[in-house]
Amino acid sequence: MKEEDILTLEAPFRGAYRLRRLSFGSGSPKLALVAGMHGNELNGVHALHLLARTLRLQPPQGTVHLLPTVNVFGIDEGRKRGPFGDEDINQAFPGDPAGTAVQRIAHAIIEATDADVCIDVHSGSPAMEELPQVRVPLSGPEVELGRAMGLPLVWRRAGEHLDVTGLVGSWRANGRRALRVVAGRGAVVQPDVALSVANGFLRLMVSMGMSQLGGEGATLADVTLSEVSTHRSSIGGFFVPDVVVGQRVEPGYVLGHVVAAVGGEVLEAVRAKRTGIVSTVRVYPMVHAQELLVRISGVAK
Amino acid sequence: MRLSSGRTELASAFGVCCFGVVTLLPPFVQYLRRQDHLEETLSPICSVELPTGDEVLLHRRRFEGTGGRHVAIVAGIRGDTPEGVRVLHTVTSILRKVEVLAGRLDLYPCANPLAAHRASRRWPLFDVDLNRLFPGKAGGHPPNQVAHALVENVREAEVVIELRGANPAFREMPQAHTRIGRQRERELAEFANVEFVWERNPGPAAPATFAAQFENVVALEGGAGNRLMPGVGEELAVGVLNMLARLEVISQDDVPRHWAGIHRARHVTDDQVHRVRAERGGFFLPAKPIGEAVSLGEVVGYVVEPTSAETREEIRAPAEGYLLAIREQPLIVPGSMVARLVASS
Repeated sequence: MKEEDILTLEAPFRGAYRLRRLSFGSGSPKLALVAGMHGNELNGVHALHLLARTLRLQPPQGTVHLLPTVNVFGIDEGRKRGPFGDEDINQAFPGDPAGTAVQRIAHAIIEATDADVCIDVHSGSPAMEELPQVRVPLSGPEVELGRAMGLPLVWRRAGEHLDVTGLVGSWRANGRRALRVVAGRGAVVQPDVALSVANGFLRLMVSMGMSQLGGEGATLADVTLSEVSTHRSSIGGFFVPDVVVGQRVEPGYVLGHVVAAVGGEVLEAVRAKRTGIVSTVRVYPMVHAQELLVRISGVAK
Repeated sequence: MRLSSGRTELASAFGVCCFGVVTLLPPFVQYLRRQDHLEETLSPICSVELPTGDEVLLHRRRFEGTGGRHVAIVAGIRGDTPEGVRVLHTVTSILRKVEVLAGRLDLYPCANPLAAHRASRRWPLFDVDLNRLFPGKAGGHPPNQVAHALVENVREAEVVIELRGANPAFREMPQAHTRIGRQRERELAEFANVEFVWERNPGPAAPATFAAQFENVVALEGGAGNRLMPGVGEELAVGVLNMLARLEVISQDDVPRHWAGIHRARHVTDDQVHRVRAERGGFFLPAKPIGEAVSLGEVVGYVVEPTSAETREEIRAPAEGYLLAIREQPLIVPGSMVARLVASS
């Protein structure tokens, strides 16, 4: 294993920012994994820890680059944005080596992830629990790469979600095959979720001929946007879910209730619109009207 | 520079999930200047190990001569107070030119580096105000441990000067704060090159503040939070040096201003200081600058409706006197303080 600082930036008072990269193996094919770009999304950080443990014991056939703590200051401080000010690195791509601090970091990430396949790993926000999922384009080689991970959800999405100011869009603009993984919720580490994602990486490596260690995956739903129903609150209040991610529901199933924040009177029962797998659940209860509560990814009856 | 002494045991005692480990460091002294009767050293007093493996050090700069008093000057207990940090820069640059120093002078230029890095008042992640954690705890969370380390290091000082900053919502005149009935503090603060020395009664939070941990403390503040204001840092630096001359740690000739040009402070107590509050919520527009004399009932600002600009309230001076502070951050609710006024009598 090789550990190196890809970029350092001076920071007042607290010591320099360092963009660290761990590299395993050599040659082709090459896989690059990035986590911790949002400092409060920690399942990806732990998923890369788990993968690194495996790769230390059994180096890959080819090269694996890991950038596990991109927003190191944000991780230390438990906040999404940063590391400097209130900027989001994931809106600073493709970056600029002579630009702002986050543009320099974005540029360095692109340079440090010159690989055949690149994956950006995120969690849901601290308010939302997400079924471990890989987000891929509607068509092209990434679809099969995403499916090879065997994560519970494969979500094929159109290009409007792949702006080049984000890392995945920027990778694709550079001709790389890029995937986005989203798993669990922010602000916490969920070891089972991180393990599920790490196993997905190993299955992908098997499909790329880089490893023999991947086990069986279990994809519960493989959908496009039109097959995903979103359930929103019609009124502001306190949302109490009655489902968990990964649960199969039928139309009319009660997903949860919006109750009055003062007194707990039931204001709304939220019911499933379709047969499917619960792929997103709001876990922070305070909601405004029209906020997302639950997503259901459709499956055949 | 990376120091590791003692960290391993503490890190294992806290386990892998703690958000930072603080290690009291053994002496690790960098000698910056050594002469026959004066030396300047830089030492870390403790290190905060962060979850990602980064390490933040708290430093003490020490000027040591022969004999004399032991004085500690501390800045940056809150992270939104760069003016105090600048004052210590200026004081340091003057002390480097001093030929004779009687005593020991310890400078702590930034006691809360993580908050300073964020330009935030409170220690990040734990979201705590370090100036409500003193005397700290050796076995507490990292902010508590840093508070403890700071108190332990400053404890032996005979005189403590604390450099605070103004609240970021306000602009304040340079001022010194002492505790009511502390004659030594009051006499020293007269030399702080400020317009007002405010002798304060301790409030409910006072026991947990840094200043409450020591016998002789003068706190200086002024300007605006998170900004360096023209004139403020220079005046406070002159004040610090003038107090050091008064304490005979340095010579009056080392103070970069003739004694005749030093501001003569006026003493005020709590009953002379009025906190002027708004009764209506809205957008506060100040009508007077700080330092200006106002008469009883004179308008010092307006509360206007934020979208129509219609005046909701005229804020009037509750006494004849001077504006010690005026609000610059305009968004207010009923009860928000918009000015602080020192009554003439």
